Amino acid sequence: MKSWSSRRARYALLQALYVASLATIILTFILLARIKLAQQGINSGFDFLWKSTGWEMTFALVPTSPSDPYWWVLLMGFLNTLLVGVLGLTLATALGIVIGTARISSNTALRIIGTVYVQLVRNVPLLVQVFFWYALITRLPSPKNAINIGGVFLSNRGLYVPRLNVEAWATLASAAIFAAMLLVCLWLSVFARAGWLHAKRQPLMAGSVASGLAIMTMLFVMGHQTGTPFVDEPVFRGLNFRGGSHIQPEFFTIVLAIAIFGGAYVGEIVRGGFLAVSPGQIEAARSLGLKTWHVFSRIQFPLAMRAMLPMLTNQYIWLIKATTLGIVVGFADLFMVIATAITQSGQTLEMLGILMGAFLLINITIATVSNRINSAIALKGHQARG
Amino acid sequence: MSSPDSAILISALNKHYGTYHALINVDLAVAHGQKVVICGPSGSGKSTLIRCINQLEQHDGGTIRVLGTAIDADTDDINRVRQDVGMVFQHFNLFPHMTILENCILAPMLVRKVSRSDAEATAMQYLEKVHIGDQASKYPGQLSGGQQQRAAIARSLSMQPRIMLFDEPTSALDPEMVSEVLEVMVSLAAEGMTMVCVTHEMGFARRVADRVVFMDRGEIVEDGSPESFFDNPRNERTAKFLSQVLKH
Repeated sequence: MKSWSSRRARYALLQALYVASLATIILTFILLARIKLAQQGINSGFDFLWKSTGWEMTFALVPTSPSDPYWWVLLMGFLNTLLVGVLGLTLATALGIVIGTARISSNTALRIIGTVYVQLVRNVPLLVQVFFWYALITRLPSPKNAINIGGVFLSNRGLYVPRLNVEAWATLASAAIFAAMLLVCLWLSVFARAGWLHAKRQPLMAGSVASGLAIMTMLFVMGHQTGTPFVDEPVFRGLNFRGGSHIQPEFFTIVLAIAIFGGAYVGEIVRGGFLAVSPGQIEAARSLGLKTWHVFSRIQFPLAMRAMLPMLTNQYIWLIKATTLGIVVGFADLFMVIATAITQSGQTLEMLGILMGAFLLINITIATVSNRINSAIALKGHQARG
Repeated sequence: MSSPDSAILISALNKHYGTYHALINVDLAVAHGQKVVICGPSGSGKSTLIRCINQLEQHDGGTIRVLGTAIDADTDDINRVRQDVGMVFQHFNLFPHMTILENCILAPMLVRKVSRSDAEATAMQYLEKVHIGDQASKYPGQLSGGQQQRAAIARSLSMQPRIMLFDEPTSALDPEMVSEVLEVMVSLAAEGMTMVCVTHEMGFARRVADRVVFMDRGEIVEDGSPESFFDNPRNERTAKFLSQVLKH
């Protein structure tokens, strides 16, 4: 015991020395940089965050003005990045499931379509694809001749979609309820592994979805702006559309590009996941008389999901970083806002630090959540995957 | 033998894999309560034959009747037949993401629409019977091979089938675990279960089988009582096979 504890102490001391020397080196660099910058007359530090920007954002979830301080504008940029990320990843996943399933389908035509899609999308640089979609979207007909798809208007000025005439608080509250609903379902299906919660997880999920939707409906009805129609549809008047919500081409482009590019990679992960399920388990399920749907939902899908998750995490992290390509079409994501702020304020290092910190925050969150899910659903008694 | 109330009635069964003729005009009738052991060298078609009975493999000629229902590739109610025909696999094929108990109650709940509490009670009864009642809340990966195979047998029995198919149930086991699985199969046989068993366990065949069927190159070469099979094989291929498996 004595030798063990003294070895532990020795290791702890070594680790402490190592961390201390690393910290000293980093601090020295920061201090040197500050001194040099001060000599050139550049103010370092984060005081500028409370100054107003003097410029306007082209796209923000909450209306902004040039008098807003930098921190607010950066926060809006961060939200834009998150929005593109969430929408892009969701669509990429949906598309990937379709493509991946097509790739392992017994139908030859579907398999060929899937393969062509994957080869085409994976072998063209994402940057080029972003430019391509932007060029395509900005060459759509003018609003006057907009393409009408069930009340959604597609034109060279972007997408005009119907929206609900409800107060902002009702929209925000419904979004929160929706997110909570998804979280409850995720928690029930992943972390409630035993006991009463596990046995009753399906009725509980159905119940939470039903009550979530009921609360959302109630919020919409309560938040309905009186004197306006419930649904505000875009109508063409004069030179442009009035009413509805406008989704600008830049936003539309970057979400589309991420969805289509990500869809190809997610498709390959989905395909690999299903191929990793051993045919023996599927045969066992069939031999018990399970219907095809039950074989899929109870055996194939849960097992494939376990094989997919580590790879999906990597892909999601990659796609989140790829949202910064929005800058090439002028979408006001965090990168774009930071780039503008650098030109305006000159606080290059601080700004890049914030940018890097923001992406670290998003991606470490994704990785942590995914790791938690991964270890919760890991097959017991088997070697941990990924 | 081929009375209409046979549990399984196979006639003129043919099966091809591409140009390879895997089953050639196979006839086999299994009466209710009968225990049939199928043996033969590897590649002789014994697994293909047993897998045709619950249509994990589809035959391309001949007829199969299981419990009075004629089955073929187009049968819609193959799932109804499968409810009554349990199968045990060489590699156990337990569902690794479910506990042993969940493995056993899945099909009774989804297919037979039994309530959870009833399904659990039945499953526990069978798990006790194969002596792993104390392992019910463990996952397959936490059990030994012999325990996994007994769990797989309990999973099949939980559907309360009328026929049990065994496809080399002890071939993937470590030698010291073979007997614990055979023990379970022997007691199942003693209770009158109709059993078709592909196995190389000749001791088991001698002890339990009513009939031993010997297959070679897709054909049934010999079909008779264990005594006549082991002591007076009529076919020289049977004799050669027996001399190889019984040598040790």
